[in-house]
Amino acid sequence: MDITSIFIQTIIGGIGIGSLYALVALGYSMTFRSMGLVNFAQGSIYMVGTYFGIIWYRGMVLGLHVPYAAAFFIGLLCNALLGILLERIFRPLAKLDLMLMLLATIGLSFILDNLFTIIFGAEGFAVDSPLPSTPWIIYGIRVLPQMALLIGVSALLMIGNHLFLSKTKLGMAMRASAVDFEIARTMGIATNRMNALALSIGCMMSAAAGILAAPIVYVAPSMGAAVGLKGFAAAVLGGLGSIPGAIAGGLAFGVFEAISAGFISSQWTKAIAFIVMVVVLMVKPSGIVGEITIEKV
Amino acid sequence: MKKKSSILKWILIGAVACLLLAFPAFAKSSYQVHIVNNIGIWLLLSLGLNIAMGYGGQFNLALGALWGVGAYTAALLQTRLGVPFWINLPLGIIAAATMAALVGLPSFKVRSHYLAIVTIGLGEVINLFLVNQDELTGGALGINRIKPPSLFGFPIDTNERFYYLILIMVILGYLIGRQIVGHRIGRAFRALRDDFQAARAMGVNTGFYQILAFAISGAYAGAAGVLFAHWNSYISPDIFEFKSALIVLTMIMIGGMGSLPGSVVGTVLLLVLNEYLRVFERWQLVGYGVAIIVVVLFLPGGVVELVRRFGSLRQRWSAGLTKEKSNVEEERNVP
Repeated sequence: MDITSIFIQTIIGGIGIGSLYALVALGYSMTFRSMGLVNFAQGSIYMVGTYFGIIWYRGMVLGLHVPYAAAFFIGLLCNALLGILLERIFRPLAKLDLMLMLLATIGLSFILDNLFTIIFGAEGFAVDSPLPSTPWIIYGIRVLPQMALLIGVSALLMIGNHLFLSKTKLGMAMRASAVDFEIARTMGIATNRMNALALSIGCMMSAAAGILAAPIVYVAPSMGAAVGLKGFAAAVLGGLGSIPGAIAGGLAFGVFEAISAGFISSQWTKAIAFIVMVVVLMVKPSGIVGEITIEKV
Repeated sequence: MKKKSSILKWILIGAVACLLLAFPAFAKSSYQVHIVNNIGIWLLLSLGLNIAMGYGGQFNLALGALWGVGAYTAALLQTRLGVPFWINLPLGIIAAATMAALVGLPSFKVRSHYLAIVTIGLGEVINLFLVNQDELTGGALGINRIKPPSLFGFPIDTNERFYYLILIMVILGYLIGRQIVGHRIGRAFRALRDDFQAARAMGVNTGFYQILAFAISGAYAGAAGVLFAHWNSYISPDIFEFKSALIVLTMIMIGGMGSLPGSVVGTVLLLVLNEYLRVFERWQLVGYGVAIIVVVLFLPGGVVELVRRFGSLRQRWSAGLTKEKSNVEEERNVP
């Protein structure tokens, strides 16, 4: 196998993990742009969403073995409901200053992580892929079918989200309420409901990421912490609150991680990724996409 | 009246001091002393973070890693070169403070949640360094057989003996902290926290004080680290991470952000509760989460705020009483 195909394979792996980060980063950005709130519980929401879907797929509920696609939608639906619930919890928080918001959302992630540890135990489990586990070989490049599924469905979700926000009336109402809460409200937009919808979408994206990646990564109640941190880093990298920024940031973070793991050292992957993030922030604090979003005063 | 209250205050301080000094004598077991020692170490961490964050408004979520810098400095110097505790202590403090100043450098450029994520990131990088540089740091296994300190040939090797060392350090840390926040530096910190631009316009050297805030929290973390390494005699990288910074953050949040007594109250409350609620295992952690949200929503100033509110209520009440009394007297004077 020559160096080019190894490189391409590494990039594909990076895009796969990057899609995961991008979907989680979308959750951060959707919450931030609608409510001006950095939700540090996003990693836990990702974990919760994964469990909501995978427990059906693995037959952990009443012994029902639901097909993967159906489990996927059940997980998304459950997390959408969680998002609506979260909006209600976060509403009084949005007026507080950053330190308090940060703490309250960390408190929430404490609750979620430990509740799920109580229910499902601290040890996790591996999930079988619904697709064959032998990699496809295209021009000497090996691709896991599940990885292809992760990349494909993530791309569809991101495009769908973009179309929804830019083309539909509801999406435009959501953007209006994100840009100026007060004016949107005077224009007759139910802003609280828009926030709930934004949070729901964010939670659904995280659930999708978790359920799609479950056969590749390991499922455990502690899985949210690292992904939550990296997803946030990705969102900040792209410009917090920006939707294209979240996607670009996530993919960049994933690809960078994969390259540094493949070609430099797998031990230092995380460190290198964080250092790059710090450097980008120092050079361009608005992120690589640099869309102007609301600043909470 | 004023004199009386100051006498009362000194009596109270004296009583607390006697209680603290005599604690190992009436502690039921060595384990109790162990818990109190642990509280002392976390107290140093929470005092440092409260000065940087509560007063200076500088997010330093690399605190866990800085604690590790202090601990590893002491552990390496002790196990490799046989350097005694008393030299390790200043060296550990200097190392952690320097590292903290470096972690604080991005604060020139980024603020609020960006600074939070940058410090988290840099803290993780330091932690990874501790894990990955296994020839130097022992990797994930850590370092063991760190010798306890000794004072003129008298070894400080039991929990009871260590208790006094930690007690002295915590009291010193508290008094130094009071000096810092009560004087010029503290005023500059508060100006920085409340309005960055205004502070700058008033001639506060913002960059210097930002870095100083980081360095102070680092110095406290360093002291905590050196003490921890020599007391525990074994360290491993798994506690010197982001999660520890979060625990400290929770402590000062529950006790009171921007208040040194708040740090003390929060730390003691959380760690003592931790012992009593241990039977509930995981549910206890769920309870912490609920407690954090409740504090944030209904009592953003922490427990100290509650005490303050109660105090002002009582003051108003007693003021009302004296007023009524004087009214009565006035009425009497009227012929």
